[in-house]
Amino acid sequence: MITKHTGITAIVLIGLLAGGTACKRDHDDTGLEFAPQMYDPVSYEPYKQVRPNEVNPTGLNMRDPARGTVSRPNYHTRFGEGDTTTTDLMIYNIPKDSIALAERVLTNPIPQTERTLEEGKILYGRYCIHCHGEGGKGDGLVGKEYKGVPSYSADAYKSMNDGHIFHVITHGKGRMWPHGSQMTPEERWKIVQYVHKLQQG
Amino acid sequence: MSRLSKLCGALSLSVALLLGGQADAQDSVAAAGGGPAAATPAAASGGDAEKGKALFTNNCAQCHAVTDEVVVGPGLKGVRQRTPGEDWLIKWIRNSSAVIASGDPYAVQVFNKFNKIQMSNFPNLTDDDIKGILAYIDQASAPQEATVGGAGQAQARGGGGASAENGDGSAGGPSELFTFVLVALLVVMLLVLGVLLVIVTILSRAVSPAATGEGAPTTVPFTQRLREGLTNAVNNSTLRSIVIWLFIFVVTKESVDGLYSIGIQQGYAPKQPIAYSHKLHAGQYKIDCNYCHTGVNKGKSAHIPSANICMNCHGVIKKESPEIQKIYAAIEQNRPIEWVRVHNLPDFAYFNHAQHVNVGNVQCQTCHGQIEKMEVVEQRSSLTMGWCIDCHRKTEVNTKDNAYYDKLVALHRKESKEPLKVANIGGLECSKCHY
Repeated sequence: MITKHTGITAIVLIGLLAGGTACKRDHDDTGLEFAPQMYDPVSYEPYKQVRPNEVNPTGLNMRDPARGTVSRPNYHTRFGEGDTTTTDLMIYNIPKDSIALAERVLTNPIPQTERTLEEGKILYGRYCIHCHGEGGKGDGLVGKEYKGVPSYSADAYKSMNDGHIFHVITHGKGRMWPHGSQMTPEERWKIVQYVHKLQQG
Repeated sequence: MSRLSKLCGALSLSVALLLGGQADAQDSVAAAGGGPAAATPAAASGGDAEKGKALFTNNCAQCHAVTDEVVVGPGLKGVRQRTPGEDWLIKWIRNSSAVIASGDPYAVQVFNKFNKIQMSNFPNLTDDDIKGILAYIDQASAPQEATVGGAGQAQARGGGGASAENGDGSAGGPSELFTFVLVALLVVMLLVLGVLLVIVTILSRAVSPAATGEGAPTTVPFTQRLREGLTNAVNNSTLRSIVIWLFIFVVTKESVDGLYSIGIQQGYAPKQPIAYSHKLHAGQYKIDCNYCHTGVNKGKSAHIPSANICMNCHGVIKKESPEIQKIYAAIEQNRPIEWVRVHNLPDFAYFNHAQHVNVGNVQCQTCHGQIEKMEVVEQRSSLTMGWCIDCHRKTEVNTKDNAYYDKLVALHRKESKEPLKVANIGGLECSKCHY
């Protein structure tokens, strides 16, 4: 009975096929790649780790930059003419505990225009708004949960000057943690401009 | 990763104050103020409580409650009784750091007790202002135990109710839908079952010779009938060719689909070492993508945030969560957190985030899907070349108020009536992405 056997074989094959295709690829699986040697980077990519790195201590391609490294492309050395804070902008080396020094010596090197203020507002929306709130009242969605976020227009805060705000963004103060790693000095100075606007209430 | 070592230092100084209480300080202040506080013992000390209330809300309420509750600093109920006196309080509020520096034992004790968090100085407050604030604290905390407690409880209950409602709302929507789908499926399956039974009955009647009228169908066993039926079916050439063609069709389709999915990772949603939820952070708390992915406007990569960015909030809140304890462990051991990359472009294709996000004004969601609704991040787009090209063909270049494009637009107008698309300014050039 050849015909009978082919019939059974066909049914079995269809069963196998249905079973094989019913299972979708697992969420943890990247699936089949045709030519991984073309897809995977040959060079050491920090964000793409295919095999352990034998050079670096943790086995990752990523590693800490050398101590004191300053990422130069992100740092403007001059804003306008003849300002005195250029060196401080390159490497903001006023230590965390010297906020009084920052208040005394730093002034905003970026001349305030409508455009910089607008940029400051955008940057404020990215980095500050979730705690400090849209109007700087300390009532952001995270701020309510975090607690202890002051209002910029409160008596103790409304007179804080350029250097103070810049220093606090960079190094943090009280419950606020340092945000210097997330923003270039130029961005921080633009935020300072916008915070001054919010201080007026 | 660059800040890990610094963080280790920072961590030892970190704020260890964790707040169990959920009640909002400002709310409870407002509630207390609204209470029928008729008796004012503070009036004796000569402060203006009305003025004090405004000053308190503006300057103090972020960190202090008028009850026993610790918000950031101590709860201020009975502050006049437990401190060395009004003069001391005035000095302290004006410039607490100076009082601590002077070595005042009580000041140092409070400072250490609250994890050395420096209270802000308020040099602008006059003696009268401070007396007013103290009068307000006395008034709000002392006489109406019952009302404050009642209001507080009611609020706590209200808050709890609201949050529970929210929880139900978010969980209720999908679960309701889920039950509906289940019931619908059940109904459909029952129908299918019914139809199948009918078919089986009809077929068995048709196939079985016993059913023609002998009246003894039970004598023929089911297996035998089945075998006979199958033999008949297999011997039927039409049926056989239908089955074979169907088989060939299905195999071909599956093979072609399988071949097309090679190298495409759409739907890839790996388990991450820490169960970070974009739904919570970007969705519920509306933290901007840029806050953590700081490179997205500036460079090729959007950046995976280093642990110090997590610590900006989690140095204070939710420290006890086992998932967040994993960040702490990584920092303490100076060990990187090995997140699993979700969106993998092949090495021979160049992609730059800044170019698309900053210049092209492309929203994150356009390529990544509704990240703010994802509990676990999943690759939503196919990231194939066809997908890139398709967008470059369709997307118009925003040339408005940009002198750079003026001549390009003028040249383009001569050739075509269509608006200037990305494809027209080199968006389809091979060497733009492959070099």
